[in-house]
Amino acid sequence: MKYIPTIGIECHVQLKTKTKLFSEVDNDARGKEPNSCVSPVDYALPGMLPRLNGEAIKMAILAGRAMNCEINAYSRFDRKHYFYPDSPKGYQITQFYHPIIGAGYVELPSGTKVRIEHAHLEGDAGKLTHFDTYSLVDLNRVDTPLIEIVSMPDIHSARDAHDYCRELWRLMRFAGVTYGDLYNGNMRFDINTSLAPEGSDKLGTRTEVKNLNSFRSVERAVEYEIKRQTRLLDAGDKVVQQTLGWSDATGETSPQRSKEVAADYRYMPEPDLPPIHLSDEFIAAESAKLPLMPADYRTKFGEIIPHDTLEILLDYPELMTKLSELSADKKAIKLIANLFTSVLLAEEKSAEYLNDLPSGKDLAELAKMNAGGELSSTATKEVFLHLFDPQMRGRGAGQIAKELGLIQENDLGALEAIVDAVLAKPETAKAQADFRNGEEKVLGFLVGQVMKESKGKANPSAVQKILREKLK
Amino acid sequence: MEINSENIRHLAELSDFALSEKEIESLGGDLKNIIKYISELDELDTDGVEPTYQVFEMENVWRPDEIVSQDATREDLLKLTQNEKDNQIKVPRVL
Repeated sequence: MKYIPTIGIECHVQLKTKTKLFSEVDNDARGKEPNSCVSPVDYALPGMLPRLNGEAIKMAILAGRAMNCEINAYSRFDRKHYFYPDSPKGYQITQFYHPIIGAGYVELPSGTKVRIEHAHLEGDAGKLTHFDTYSLVDLNRVDTPLIEIVSMPDIHSARDAHDYCRELWRLMRFAGVTYGDLYNGNMRFDINTSLAPEGSDKLGTRTEVKNLNSFRSVERAVEYEIKRQTRLLDAGDKVVQQTLGWSDATGETSPQRSKEVAADYRYMPEPDLPPIHLSDEFIAAESAKLPLMPADYRTKFGEIIPHDTLEILLDYPELMTKLSELSADKKAIKLIANLFTSVLLAEEKSAEYLNDLPSGKDLAELAKMNAGGELSSTATKEVFLHLFDPQMRGRGAGQIAKELGLIQENDLGALEAIVDAVLAKPETAKAQADFRNGEEKVLGFLVGQVMKESKGKANPSAVQKILREKLK
Repeated sequence: MEINSENIRHLAELSDFALSEKEIESLGGDLKNIIKYISELDELDTDGVEPTYQVFEMENVWRPDEIVSQDATREDLLKLTQNEKDNQIKVPRVL
């Protein structure tokens, strides 16, 4: 039988606030010792009181607006109880009843719209590392601010699941609310998959695959679940509603601990945190700080930058911002966009380079030299790369090109003299005669001789033009 | 809500408490009394009354996003644990 898959996705995004959601300790534990970024508030010593980080609220507004969501004027926190070593409190502080972010939607590059049910603020849990007979607990991640984004079941293929996660990642990075480092778990995805026979208006039993941290594993896990559930249903068996884990190594899902039913979390209002009440003015003022989003850039640059190049660049908010600095010079935008994808992103050290981009002024100068014929395309690439060299940068594209001897000779008078000198050489006599007899291809040889004579600085197209004149 | 040994066991499991049969029995009695006492509130008609989440009418109590150095050190944290290893809290293997 043919089945239609229906997929809903929950995504956890770690916010890049300086401090945690409820305590004043360092929220950036990257490269730091275990349990070195922890406050007694995080591990809930008796008498400790959480205090809400205002920046997390502002970031939640940006994140919500990036997904075209309503921002709720009223929201508050609840305790979700569970017993597990990753949470010394015995509960997670989350927004169960009144989330800060309401309904909205995300539009995928394919045009598919995925509705957002809501998104809420909550604290992350600690990190467990499992060994053969014991587990170790690192509380650095406890109460790192998260927003959990809950989609409607609007996704119907593994590919769209992949694209949705990737688009969320882009939106959150462009909104500037997360580092978006997937490898280190800054964004994690839970996927709910169910199958229904084609034409049926009822959804099938769903399974949840938890804690995926790459778009590729999201796609593979959905593909696997669709296949597995199809096999079960075709054999007349039932899909069991359960929580599954995913292994990248085996490419399979497998059951995890039995999921506690919702009532078991014993939600109750968090008494230590007064509610959030946002005025229309505050929401409007914070929303106005949202930078351009991928969709805005598609409108802005869609006519100038080839589609494939643009989609690659849209993974890098910093490159899009840089392109926007190049004013309205379409040729310059196209050239620099091309250099970004073909040269910068191909560099081994590109991640390092991205943190320290050349100024828009330098890039504009480079584009101008290229357009004016002063730099060949090869020379343009070379000067471009030198703009990332801390030793060279600061001198500007023009100076760098001069120092490297890359400026093309465009002075027609000077070029003509070189051409004349080459034509006077006896070894070019035969080629000249051949060309006059209609052998087009020897022109390349003659251009080569002139280039050699000019030590590579002549503009080849100008040389060709002069040669054609002279050999008429 | 009926209190019986089954749901007491379930609650204990959620909080990872080990309870003996005797404890379950005596807790059952206690819980029944507590619930009976609280249930007196059910006599009030609260239809249309906004739930009270807190008694102080505060809202928007936010703090600035600035790191403040902590008095409690990692050693203070680890002192509270039974077992530690490599500056982490060591617990029986879970999952």
